[in-house]
Amino acid sequence: MSLRGLALIVAAAALLLASPAGALTLRDMLGRTVTLPAPPARIVSLVPSVTEIVFSLGAEERLVGRTDFCDYPPAVRTKPSVGGMVNPSLETLVALRPDLVIATDEGNREETIRQLERLGIPTYLVHANRVAETIELITRVGELTGHAADAPRLIGEMQRRIDAVRRAVAPFGRPRVLYVLWPDPLIVPGRASMLTELIEIAGGVSITGGDGDAYPRFSLEAAVARAPEVIILADHSTGSSTAGRSSPEKWQHLVSVPAIRAGRLHSADLSILHRYGPRVPDGLETLARMIHPEAFR
Amino acid sequence: MSAARRLLLALGLLSVALVAVAVVSLFVGSAGLSAPAVLRALTGRAGAESIESVVTLQLRLPRVVAAVLAGGALAVAGVAFQGLTRNPLAEPAVLGVSSGAAFGVILAQIFGLGLSVLQALGVAVFAFAGALLAAAAVYLIAAVPGGLSIQTLLLSGVIVGIFFTSAITVLISIVDFNRLGGVVHWLLGNLAPIPPASLALFALLALAGFWLVLGSARELNLLALGEEAAVQLGVDAARLKRRVFVAAALLTGTVVAFTGPIGFVGLVVPHMLRGVLGQDNRLLVPTALVGGGIFLLVADTLARNVVAPAELSVGVITSFCGAPFFVYLLRTRYRASL
Repeated sequence: MSLRGLALIVAAAALLLASPAGALTLRDMLGRTVTLPAPPARIVSLVPSVTEIVFSLGAEERLVGRTDFCDYPPAVRTKPSVGGMVNPSLETLVALRPDLVIATDEGNREETIRQLERLGIPTYLVHANRVAETIELITRVGELTGHAADAPRLIGEMQRRIDAVRRAVAPFGRPRVLYVLWPDPLIVPGRASMLTELIEIAGGVSITGGDGDAYPRFSLEAAVARAPEVIILADHSTGSSTAGRSSPEKWQHLVSVPAIRAGRLHSADLSILHRYGPRVPDGLETLARMIHPEAFR
Repeated sequence: MSAARRLLLALGLLSVALVAVAVVSLFVGSAGLSAPAVLRALTGRAGAESIESVVTLQLRLPRVVAAVLAGGALAVAGVAFQGLTRNPLAEPAVLGVSSGAAFGVILAQIFGLGLSVLQALGVAVFAFAGALLAAAAVYLIAAVPGGLSIQTLLLSGVIVGIFFTSAITVLISIVDFNRLGGVVHWLLGNLAPIPPASLALFALLALAGFWLVLGSARELNLLALGEEAAVQLGVDAARLKRRVFVAAALLTGTVVAFTGPIGFVGLVVPHMLRGVLGQDNRLLVPTALVGGGIFLLVADTLARNVVAPAELSVGVITSFCGAPFFVYLLRTRYRASL
């Protein structure tokens, strides 16, 4: 980021903090107008990625509530939870006396957002399906929390690591990748998913990236017919539960698939890849090592 | 024509249809294999590592078998529940029994039961227990002196179904394995290629349930005359009902354990067969096994192909057929009895 851009953001932040009783009118990531009487000091985040960003920016003193799914960094445990993403307790939420709630149109319910509006609690909606949108989200969270000056450092570090991955895989071919979000029934990332973009940056081509949906339920035989050279199984099992367990053994009989023949079937807990926050580069690096081990020797 | 000859004729025709549908199903799919390629795979002339072998033999064939088994079992369960409750609209999904079984399956998954054959048996046991529990609850709620009225039974089924659906939601929200909607898709009913050993277990359990219902078919005919009449004709009504009850729960539980809850097969298929063959359960039970197989195989072939390379849940297709059919039956044939 240029010095001028940095200066602008600092100036904006200064303005944000300096305006004493000045009401501010913001536009959230869905284009809604959000009016605040003053810069928010008591924020509840209903979005795990946003919670991560708040902590990464060192703005946690402004965070007064989170959801059960906001589990990173470990220090989030010190903040009270308002319940799940889909079914937060409005009562608990109101009791925290927030002056701003940050929510998303993907994962929170519209009903919750309507209720918050009815209760007169300003609600800022975020939405990120692309790396660029993740970067924008960090900038916005920085502005909202009065830590705009910390955003460029975080973003710069993320950009540097993303570019390093791009450079590392650039000399190599682009293998066909099948990313399995859920094994049975088979659910995969489509065009509108950030995973498709991350696979692209990591030097692969997602064989399901052409599908119009964000997370289509896909035909196993179509996946086999597209002959993926790398298969990545996301593991979602929690505790002893077997639902969503990646079970690589179930794939071994698909012997016509190049990835199986070459032993390039990976399975890992990649929940960080499903979050649009500061850990995107971590997930991206893991992905790149699976797709291009030769680039990281 | 004697009953035996009609049965043989009906079974013969249905079997021919089943084979025809199975062949079509093996030849179509999103991998876009040519007919000669599929034929090479089926006759073993393609290499084991070729794409046509893997797609035809590892993916399509086990799924075709699973569809036939699940459809047959559900249709027989439908005949059994209809005979048992003397209610033509009774069916595993309508009665909430499928939801009970689904609750059992999700509980088993939380306890860590998974893929191996032995564990699949464990999941089936949980599903069976869930189905028994739900069916018993429906029965107890609806039972009044003098038998079961159609509307009370259907309402109890709806209530029990809602209860178990809520219980499933509770489990899902506690365990949070629902982040990406996999369980939600499972709850719609899906057929997947099942490994051979588990498929054999599926077949064994389904046939056991079928055998129990088939053995009770003659007595179910007598029960249709009313419980008192059946007892006077020498039927041990209590024992008969227990046996059919357990068999129907076993069939439902088994199907839900291996494929998820698939609705309305047990309603559509027996009714279509009754239209042709009449009310005789000795004809209905075996033909429902084959007819249910055809129905679900057609539905799954559509599910695999209409939005390829994406897929639909087969339960969505059976519901799209079954729900209007249910309404049609309600508004026409059974209007007077409501």
